[in-house]
Amino acid sequence: MLLARNEARTEAGPFRDEPDAMNATLPADAPASLVDALRAVATQHGQRPALIQGPRRVSYATLWSDIVRLANAFVALGIEPGERIALLLDNSPAYVTAWYAALKAGAVVVPLNTAQRGRELARCLAHCGARLLVAAAGHPEVAALAGANPQQRQVLLAPDARPAPAVPAGALAWDALLASAATQDTGPVVSAAQPAAILYTSGTTGAPRGVTLSHRNLVTNTRAILAYLPLDEHDIGGCVLPFYYAYGNSVLHTHLTAGAALVLENSLTYPQLVLETLVRERVTGLFGVPSTFALLLQRVDFAAYDLTALRHVTQAGGAMPPALASRLAAALPGAEIYLMYGQTEATARITWLPPGRRADKPGSVGIAVAGLELQIRDEHDQPVPPGTPGEVCVRGDSVMLGYWHDGTATARVLRDGWLHTGDVGTLDADGFLTLTGRRSDFIKTGAHRVSPVEIEQVIAELPGVVECAVAGVTDETLGETIKAFVVLAPDATLDERRVQAHCRAELATYKVPKAVAFVSELPKTGSGKVRRFLLGVERTP
Amino acid sequence: MVVDEQVQQYILENFLFSTDRSLLGPEDSFLERGLIDSTGMLEVILYLEETFGIQVADEEMIPANLDSVRRIAEYVHRKLS
Repeated sequence: MLLARNEARTEAGPFRDEPDAMNATLPADAPASLVDALRAVATQHGQRPALIQGPRRVSYATLWSDIVRLANAFVALGIEPGERIALLLDNSPAYVTAWYAALKAGAVVVPLNTAQRGRELARCLAHCGARLLVAAAGHPEVAALAGANPQQRQVLLAPDARPAPAVPAGALAWDALLASAATQDTGPVVSAAQPAAILYTSGTTGAPRGVTLSHRNLVTNTRAILAYLPLDEHDIGGCVLPFYYAYGNSVLHTHLTAGAALVLENSLTYPQLVLETLVRERVTGLFGVPSTFALLLQRVDFAAYDLTALRHVTQAGGAMPPALASRLAAALPGAEIYLMYGQTEATARITWLPPGRRADKPGSVGIAVAGLELQIRDEHDQPVPPGTPGEVCVRGDSVMLGYWHDGTATARVLRDGWLHTGDVGTLDADGFLTLTGRRSDFIKTGAHRVSPVEIEQVIAELPGVVECAVAGVTDETLGETIKAFVVLAPDATLDERRVQAHCRAELATYKVPKAVAFVSELPKTGSGKVRRFLLGVERTP
Repeated sequence: MVVDEQVQQYILENFLFSTDRSLLGPEDSFLERGLIDSTGMLEVILYLEETFGIQVADEEMIPANLDSVRRIAEYVHRKLS
């Protein structure tokens, strides 16, 4: 809605004049942007650690100094306010530096999913029209992205532990750029209403969908989380969540706004190593999705590790089964367990369950965070009484500006000032939300939200495929896994491995179907639409 | 078939969905190539335990033992010897 009406204005500030009362209630004492909040922390706690990765420790003073230099370098490169700077970086000091430098330069930062393949990344880069790509030098898709570059996008290569392929011609080098950059803390003044970031999520059509967040969105959601999660400069968070997702993004900004330190991890592949890091760094907070904790509980004996410093654990990214929450609480008796619910379209957090209410509100994801209102609405978009299921709708400062350059999709979810989440749930008389389902066809596998359509489009490229459908199948660890149902032409000889190999070549690994079933037909509605929910249930062996 | 060939074939078939041995060198890091994620590693461990009759202890789940075909083969040999 907002984007659709405003696309005719400049891309630098299409939302600035929007009369949106619900998006204008930032308290007078709040900083206009995350950059202002970080500047204040760096001034007050400059020598404290901000980021820890392996043996490397980056103080707030060093982080801030690098951010100032890189922001100045961006401006010197000709980046104008409102232009997009894309990041192709795993969790690292370079990611954090580039994120904040982009904001400081008045640009819109676009963190890309580093697990994605070239085709997926190229679509996002083209969709947001990024002027500059900041990429890890060893990312396997960098050379291809730099080569196929009709927009003449600049490429800045950041340091990487992986061996770097051939350096793309004309690429800028991180160290040299920072060394030559000005050091004065100057730059454009950003307004809270300006777009600050675009986070790509899966859209129902399979096309990239860029959730556009303002500086106000980011600041208010960060403050709303800090209103219930007691973080201060003595905390050390352990983050295995990728920053390019909304949840990891919120963990990063809450810690930096609070002056806490954050231990950066990029993988749970070796859970014991993660636990050893938590012990070594005396981590006080751990953040994950249900599959994070399911995996840890499956492979790690928590009692064998000294986790006495751990005082809170937070979970979002899909409702955690009460039994799993109880097992987690039993394994970590010294830590408060915060169950939460969020959506990228609401910046990150929508609700939180006070740890003390887990026993008397089992299965609930809690109450709305500060500054957000919740409503459950029926199919006629009318509020329903407590206890009645309906679509979860949200209103307030954290609700996105809209989807980047997609007025139609924006108008579908932002109606009457309310974000329609597509999730189904109930509110009880005390205002506690319980999620009961989902209206959309998204598959939630681990931390990832996956569009079945995107996978179906890739499978349909294979010769011999008449039609196909992809659905989520319940999985104890991941929540759901992906299964493809394929109808073949009579003479086709396709097998499961060929389908998976093609998906593996074109899509991020987590989107590759775990199983492929060859069927004679797909269940459809009278109008011919595939009934995916039947596939996920009835056809699962 | 020797252990490293068996492991290579398993990784190729289940994570690269191919039988082309040129796609996976014995020293290729699964982490660096983004081949195996956390749940994939659980599948690998299950495969090793079932195929070679070994028990992978929690403390043995480290890159030095499991992050390439050669490392896995050497680890399996050590466990069997």
